[in-house]
Amino acid sequence: MSSQRYRLASGGSIDRTRTLQFFFDGHTYSGHPGDTLASALLANGVTLTGRSFKYHRPRGILSAGSEEPNALVELRTGAKREANTKATTTEIYDGLEAASQNRWPSLNFDVMAINSLLSPVFVAGFYYKTFMWPAALWEKLYEPAIRRAAGLGRASEKADPDIYEKATAFCDVLIIGGGPAGLTAALNAGRSGARVILADEQFGLGGRSVDDGSPIDGKPAAQWITLAETELATLKDVRVMRRTTVFGTYDTGTYGAIERVSDHLAATPQGQPRQRLWRFIAKQAVLASGATERPIVFGGNDRPGVMLAGAVRTYINRYGVAPGQKAVVFANNDYAATTVTALDRAGIEVVALIDSRPTPSDFVRDIVSATETRLISGGVITDTTGKKRVSGVIVRSGDGDTINLDCDLVAISGGWNPNIQLTTHLNGKPHWNEALATFIAGTLPPGMTTAGAAAGTFGLKTCLDGGAAAGTTAAVATGFKSAAAPAVKAENESCEITPLWRVPGSKGKAFVDQQNDVTVPDIELAEREGFRAVEHLKRYTTLGMATDQGKTANINALAIMAELTHKTIPQTGMTIARPPYTPVALGAFAGHHRAKEFKPARLPPSYAWSKEQGAVFVETGLWLRPSYFPRAGEEDWLESVTREVNTVRNAVGICDVSTLGKIDVQGTDAATFLDRIYMNGFKTLAVGRARYGGMLREDGILMDDGTVARLGENHFFVTTTTANAVKVSQHMEFCHQWLWPELDVQMISATEQWAQYAVAGPKSRDLLRKIVDAAFDISDKGFAYMQAGEITVCGGIKARLFRLSFSGERAYEIGVPARFGDALIRRLMDAGQEFGVCAYGTEALGVMRIEKGHISGPELNGTTTARDVGLGGMVSTKKDFIGRVLGHRPGLLETDRPSLVGLRPVDKQDRLKSGAHFIARDAEPSAASDDGYMTSVAFSPSCGHWIGLGLLKRGPARFGEILRSYDPIRGENTLVQVVAPCFVDAEGGRLRG
Amino acid sequence: MADQALAAYSAFTNWTPVKSPTLTIGVREDLTMASFAAAKGKADALKAAILKAYGVELPSSPERIQGRDIAFVWYGPDQWLAVAGRGSGAGRDIEMELKPLLAGLASVVDQSDGRAVVQISGPRARDVLAKGLPIDLHPRAFKANGVAITHASHIGVILWQTDAAPTYEIALFRSFSDSFTHWLLEAAAEYTNHA
Repeated sequence: MSSQRYRLASGGSIDRTRTLQFFFDGHTYSGHPGDTLASALLANGVTLTGRSFKYHRPRGILSAGSEEPNALVELRTGAKREANTKATTTEIYDGLEAASQNRWPSLNFDVMAINSLLSPVFVAGFYYKTFMWPAALWEKLYEPAIRRAAGLGRASEKADPDIYEKATAFCDVLIIGGGPAGLTAALNAGRSGARVILADEQFGLGGRSVDDGSPIDGKPAAQWITLAETELATLKDVRVMRRTTVFGTYDTGTYGAIERVSDHLAATPQGQPRQRLWRFIAKQAVLASGATERPIVFGGNDRPGVMLAGAVRTYINRYGVAPGQKAVVFANNDYAATTVTALDRAGIEVVALIDSRPTPSDFVRDIVSATETRLISGGVITDTTGKKRVSGVIVRSGDGDTINLDCDLVAISGGWNPNIQLTTHLNGKPHWNEALATFIAGTLPPGMTTAGAAAGTFGLKTCLDGGAAAGTTAAVATGFKSAAAPAVKAENESCEITPLWRVPGSKGKAFVDQQNDVTVPDIELAEREGFRAVEHLKRYTTLGMATDQGKTANINALAIMAELTHKTIPQTGMTIARPPYTPVALGAFAGHHRAKEFKPARLPPSYAWSKEQGAVFVETGLWLRPSYFPRAGEEDWLESVTREVNTVRNAVGICDVSTLGKIDVQGTDAATFLDRIYMNGFKTLAVGRARYGGMLREDGILMDDGTVARLGENHFFVTTTTANAVKVSQHMEFCHQWLWPELDVQMISATEQWAQYAVAGPKSRDLLRKIVDAAFDISDKGFAYMQAGEITVCGGIKARLFRLSFSGERAYEIGVPARFGDALIRRLMDAGQEFGVCAYGTEALGVMRIEKGHISGPELNGTTTARDVGLGGMVSTKKDFIGRVLGHRPGLLETDRPSLVGLRPVDKQDRLKSGAHFIARDAEPSAASDDGYMTSVAFSPSCGHWIGLGLLKRGPARFGEILRSYDPIRGENTLVQVVAPCFVDAEGGRLRG
Repeated sequence: MADQALAAYSAFTNWTPVKSPTLTIGVREDLTMASFAAAKGKADALKAAILKAYGVELPSSPERIQGRDIAFVWYGPDQWLAVAGRGSGAGRDIEMELKPLLAGLASVVDQSDGRAVVQISGPRARDVLAKGLPIDLHPRAFKANGVAITHASHIGVILWQTDAAPTYEIALFRSFSDSFTHWLLEAAAEYTNHA
């Protein structure tokens, strides 16, 4: 294990009492709790962390935060391997394993670095130009080759083993960012009594105040932060959320955030998720997200050892690490000069401060004189030297002289960009501020204010005061009284700046976007080729894309484009950001809802019993229904289903039909209401009787069918199909609430109240006689076909009995309160043993309804009218009802509309396929000769061959005709005969007997 | 055979109760429930009838009111859910109790089996529910007798608070019970596992 040679003797917010071991590219290193992977690598002297996207150039650590374009690693191993993880935000834990990316065979020796020599090929737009022809080679050759040569990390390709959660939190004031401004905002808002959420993406609060190590209230920043945290912890409605990135702004005060609950731990603790996706709903939000430093673009600016000046201070002050031993600072602003102080205090040699401005400010002059640092005013770096680490810089002085300086660290600063991404997610346009040389937020999302550096108000004292004011204002805006404490004492750094975007006359490659390997010449090329609009520039060069979203690149790029086109920056425009602010794992968006839990499952009352029986289940909507009940010795589903059908036709079968929608409709106008909802009438339905009903949509198309039983003068019990239960409920509610609120009718779903079983077959009555209490007469005379009533079963349990049949046999539906459903099916099966009872599933149900020509989903398909499916006779001419008027449109009345018929194969051995189209025997298959199609097919045990239902032009007039059933996709070409759509007991004698 | 009563089967077949110092999760299978909706123009008479019989005023906003051995949960405009303990033996049947009382005033529908009810209580209850319910249960936003018709983990629910512990009862369609408790126990796991 190496010895952390570059760890400073003191300082930093790390826990030096504990040492952690971690692995990078197979080497063992040590660090301390409180380190990021980047700070720990630097402490161990590792500065080469990866290879670049296109050119495979050696890259190191540029930043100390989520803006990092270079130091991306594959974290963890196996299924937990996560590509493109930023070393600068990854907290180390004992045993952490990380690997560098995009190099082969090793980081030190990468054969793909030859891409660098091929750079003329890899210029902007290379995707579009180089591999244009022939297109057929794109998928097979070009893209795989490019992906190997250029790219980011490797996904694990295994199922994500982690657990994710989603949650919602509400607050009066959401504070985004826990730096100096965010903390004073949280303190003031919290003190007022408001419900506050403070979310910070880092694991340690304090933001730049800790990074810069400036005193607050006369104490070291870290100490003041601890006091602030302690006070926040005492405020009961303040919630401080570390490791939580607010990544998106959405409508009406909704914010998306990702909390990295256990990414900083070796293993996810039992019961905890890896990450939690938050939806914050905030009345007010204070955006105190700070600012991101931008580089200056110069030759060789991507060499490891070139680092943002603010990041240099962060590594020194927050992590107690020396990022180099011999530093050059290159900047265009005053704030960066504080880096000289930080380096000097840490005992790191400062070779020179190169300030691109010809005249140094007093602020800079004071710093260089106090630290006795060489100042090169008006100077710029034109190139760097070194291979895998910078070894020196070539400086052009203000006088034009070339100066060579040896160094192993180049701290650069081109100024700061407020982190205003979240202000643009709802299309707020940023404004250019000439004095600050940066964009600040324009129109803010409703309820949001900005504070501190995010507002473009730089300087520690300004940030502390601005945050305090914003916190108070936000609390007051949500109805709380101001409880502001006296202002906190601190000093402002000077932030004067004279913009310098790129160094003209740079020698080596000058990178604008390091993550995407976009150079100044790429932007020049885009300009020459007309891709001058910022959106075009982005897409043509890929600038600003990928995991860092160009946080260190975008402004420089558009400023360079502005120079090239002789326009101002505001004239050139700016791409606005969209969520997420930083990458979010897709697993977090799924949360709990994956695999079997992707959607909820509804279990019918007989579920447990059916499972014991070995039933095969089928999803019907959310319901899990038994499809069939295989028995030992049965070879396939068809054999089981055939047995089930035969049992029903010859003895008795039981099917769970609880999933059908059930709506209880009551009121003195209930009959009137149903008359308006259904195409057929219900006023004449006698109490104790049931009737089949059809419901049309407003446009005259059939919507749903079912039965309606009249349980009392003003009490109806409506059933719907399983699939349309919710839709019919909504439709009825709409009709009552909006169309006819004057009617006295109340309705409520009773679907789940009743476990309901179809008991079907010639022996059904004998079976039920053993279940229904003796007081109730269920003989044909006492309980005829289509009768309905409230009864009791099994000694007084309230129940409902309906003499309905979908199978065409003598059949009943019996309902009991759902908690008795399990016991009832067991009781029915026991009682039915002497009659040879079996349970049947949806398959047998389907076979029998096809045998009887009853319509179901395939015929109730949103295109058919009542007449199309043979129910034209049911449509009332005596009353008005929904769908009546539009149902009379000429197109719906045309005689050659496809209408319901039965089909049987001419050759009894032929199998029919649903979806096949009907054409005349001798016709050429074409759209013009298409006469309709097969909607449902089944093997009919009753007929001994396959049968079908279909929609055929002029169908009912063509019984006896022989057609071709043609399915070019599945190669089917079968002769079928058109018959009446009923294959069993056409007279219906079995129903009534 | 017809004289043997049927055994009740639990709506919750695949779960274990939670009992930790900060969180208790259990089920209420001892309830009898009925929904009732006022007939056109009869809301006032209905309220008077309930007041007379049970001594409480039916709420006109999403609230729950506790009467003598019965609670009423607002369930929509002029609609309520009556909730009471079923008791032992033959047991209380709220539908049968309310029907004669409200004849001509309201339509009464038995919901004792249509809804399964989960009870969740303790200082961590809100943290658990935040993982599925999109509503604000903070005492400042949700009254100690508050009611919400909402959804949890993609499942439609009616939630009512019964005390400031806080204790919530969540009624959902019976068939969703397994999926619901699966989510709930996962959401509660971090407060119940003490590995």
